[in-house]
Amino acid sequence: MTYQIELENINKYYGGYHALRDISLGIEPGEFVALVGPSGCGKSTLLRTIAGLEGISGGTLRIAGETVNDRAPRERDLAMVFQSYALYPHMTVRRNLTYSMRLKRRSKADMERSVEEIARITGLESLLDRYPRELSGGQRQRVAMGRAIIREPKAFLFDEPLSNLDAALRVHMRSEVRQLHNRLNATSVYVTHDQIEAMTMADRVVVMRAGVVEQMGAPLDLYDRPCNRFVAGFIGSPAMNFVDGIIREDGVSVRLDLPGEAVLRFAGARPAGETVTVGFRPEHLSVTMAATGGNILSLPVGFVERTGSTSYVLSSTTPEILLSVPERFPKEQGSVNAQIAPELVHLFSKEDGTALL
Amino acid sequence: MSRFKNTFSDGVGFDTILVMIALGYLVLFSAFPLVYNIVMSMQEVDLFSLASFDRPFVGLDNYRDVLGRPETMQIFFNTVKFVGFSVAAQLAIGFGLAMFFQLDFPGNTWLRGLFLAGWIMPAIVVGGVWSWILAGDFGVLNHILLATGLGDEKIFWLSDPEFALYSVILANIWLGVPFNMILLSVGLSGISEDVYEAAQMDGATRIQRFFTITLPLMRAQLGAVISLGVIFTLQQFDLFASLTQGGPSNASNVFQYWSWQLSFQNYEIGVGSVISVLMILFVVLVAAVYVRSTRHEHVA
Amino acid sequence: MRGNDVKRYGLLALALLFVGIYLFPLYWMYVTALKSNSEIFAIPPTFWPRDPQWIVMDVWQRMKMDVYLRNSLIIAFGVTVIVTMTGTGCAYVLARIRNRWMDAVLFTVLMMQVLPSSLMITPIFVVFNQVGLSEYPRLSVILAQAAKVLPLYIVLCRATFLQVPKELEEAARVDGNSRVGAFLTIIVPLARNGILVTSVLIFLQSFGEYVYSRSLITQRALQPATVGLQSFMGPNSSDWAGVMTYSAIYVTPILIVFVLLQRQIVSGLTSGALK
Repeated sequence: MTYQIELENINKYYGGYHALRDISLGIEPGEFVALVGPSGCGKSTLLRTIAGLEGISGGTLRIAGETVNDRAPRERDLAMVFQSYALYPHMTVRRNLTYSMRLKRRSKADMERSVEEIARITGLESLLDRYPRELSGGQRQRVAMGRAIIREPKAFLFDEPLSNLDAALRVHMRSEVRQLHNRLNATSVYVTHDQIEAMTMADRVVVMRAGVVEQMGAPLDLYDRPCNRFVAGFIGSPAMNFVDGIIREDGVSVRLDLPGEAVLRFAGARPAGETVTVGFRPEHLSVTMAATGGNILSLPVGFVERTGSTSYVLSSTTPEILLSVPERFPKEQGSVNAQIAPELVHLFSKEDGTALL
Repeated sequence: MSRFKNTFSDGVGFDTILVMIALGYLVLFSAFPLVYNIVMSMQEVDLFSLASFDRPFVGLDNYRDVLGRPETMQIFFNTVKFVGFSVAAQLAIGFGLAMFFQLDFPGNTWLRGLFLAGWIMPAIVVGGVWSWILAGDFGVLNHILLATGLGDEKIFWLSDPEFALYSVILANIWLGVPFNMILLSVGLSGISEDVYEAAQMDGATRIQRFFTITLPLMRAQLGAVISLGVIFTLQQFDLFASLTQGGPSNASNVFQYWSWQLSFQNYEIGVGSVISVLMILFVVLVAAVYVRSTRHEHVA
Repeated sequence: MRGNDVKRYGLLALALLFVGIYLFPLYWMYVTALKSNSEIFAIPPTFWPRDPQWIVMDVWQRMKMDVYLRNSLIIAFGVTVIVTMTGTGCAYVLARIRNRWMDAVLFTVLMMQVLPSSLMITPIFVVFNQVGLSEYPRLSVILAQAAKVLPLYIVLCRATFLQVPKELEEAARVDGNSRVGAFLTIIVPLARNGILVTSVLIFLQSFGEYVYSRSLITQRALQPATVGLQSFMGPNSSDWAGVMTYSAIYVTPILIVFVLLQRQIVSGLTSGALK
């Protein structure tokens, strides 16, 4: 298998600061990979090392099978879309699009043809002779995309390209970028801090924290089987609930450190007496009338937020437990019973947060 | 070979070269003379030994010579007065004007910009104009003073030892006010109107607002402007050349002019460099304090 | 008219008064230049010339101002060329890269900026004599003055480059350009205005340079207008109309450039000096 982009034990130091730790990752041709994590996790640095804008301190970086560790950005044949779009303000849209072609001294006719095509794909036909300052945010975004596409590069690099757009446009562009990726049969690496973007767009999501890859895999795998507490809390919105608990004598259920000491069964077995962190997602708690029975949490209601379709119910316990209820939850209700299926209960080690099931 | 070429077109070699060109130039034409200056201050240098590379080493004799001269103390105090009065007045007037032009009236920024016309003029011309204004018999300043009753007899500004230094200070203040004012204006417009309104709601009077809001928030700017004022004032040479030439009998002489006189009029180049060394040390010290303080502001 | 307007126009009147007082020396220069010799020494002095004289051509020829001004232009032009050639790249790198080395360079540059010419001239004079540069006095002045203003240029230009987003250069490099190419086709065109204004400032400063020219140039035919004015004024000159005419001829172009670029000069100065 030849990877389009292959990272092997990439390390990066800034002075004494270890920004990237032993990162290995293979990206297949045509794959859409999202790098996601909180700010400062190294995702942008990783993208920039792939682009060649940052050097690497150790490891090997291959693009289409060739080692490119020492190659300048211009010798890597990658295209990048920046968060700020980085449109050249002193050039018209047309000249922005053809900048790379002019550097390669392509023929005029050639350029004309490419511009026509790209303008059609991105819907920029009427804007070709405008300057970036005369464009709206969404239009600038399209120019940035067009400037990348026109290159027909070995891969596309995206550095939070949608974060400067307003919410509605962002959702729209999400699908547009992904459709473009499919149509061009491109290889894309996409950096974002927004896990929803990563989940909805990517074939594979790489979750990073503090310069380390915490987990990578298909979006729903990360959602269903987070390998540690960090990934579990990062993926999914609203975030997963975490409560401390102790494994009971039977080894298949856990007593929660909550008022009422509710007991939850889980799918699997752990040694009795172990203290663990129990995690369950707000949307996996379903409100039930039954007060007793299997896997039921009885919670005092603290605060209710109603968005119309969904109500978010926050318990008045410590820690707070959040329920996501797909109906209008009455504000004045004093307590709620919520049920959860055993296979949706996650257990994490209290020491290092790794998943125990 | 291509790796070698690469670092210049794509890597740190590019940055290094660009920095080295400028730095090299400065080392050659500023840093080297600076060091050479220190060497010369410990040699006997006059017109005859000027071109020779083998000049007699005299240790600290030149330094002793300078400190022992009768005029040294006078010139020292002149320099202190020149800097002190110039900077204080430039600051006070500059601050006052900056606050005034902060007020809302038509054309305020444009009119404020006009003050820089004074700053952009060659100092030698400013000196020429002022020496005409300050002229004893037919100068317009004397006329205005007499006509308005502020003075009762003609003052020979440039040739009276009582007034010569203050004449130069006057012209120097005129030169320095615009720069002070513009820099302080930037600081003032950086203070948000909300803060003043909040203080007003809290019951602060106009004067209280100045002392509790404006001054504390302007501290960094004031520090910068004062240091820059000291630095620029110590650079002032042209006004002395065109107004008083340090006279009469050193009554308006300052170190930066005296150093030049010693080197280029008396040809006591060794002694001239002693003063130059000491003054440069002082200027660099002030500048270092200034740079350090502004860096700190940046971090904070 | 509302009370607010009265206040605003009152302030405007006050502002005009301040500007008037401040710019009086400039006014006095122009007025004196237009007066006849007898009117100059009239008591009381006249604040508006009764009988304007136009002695520009006379002063121009008598003082050989064409020679002086040409020398001033040569010096100012030479300095500006050297400074822009050596300083622009350095200013850019200092704006882009922040590490210990660059901090040290920036500090050095700032220190070089404050060295007074009148104190530096002593060693420069001796060194230039020893290496034989005194054979080329105008070149000597250009070299010395360039070293004097280069730091200022770097500091002000750096402020301009700081405003050009780093991503633009990165985009250009990913798009296939080298550092040199990105610098020349993206960064410099975008910083063009700032570079231009700063260069004008350097040009004007060097156009009025005095200390180095006075000390390094002995031949009259090579001296710039500042030295010319100084020798014109002499110890006991009373030709004030001539001196003021000379001054007016000399500074009017400077003032015109200033009025044209006033806004840019003000903003360039303030951004550089406080960063």
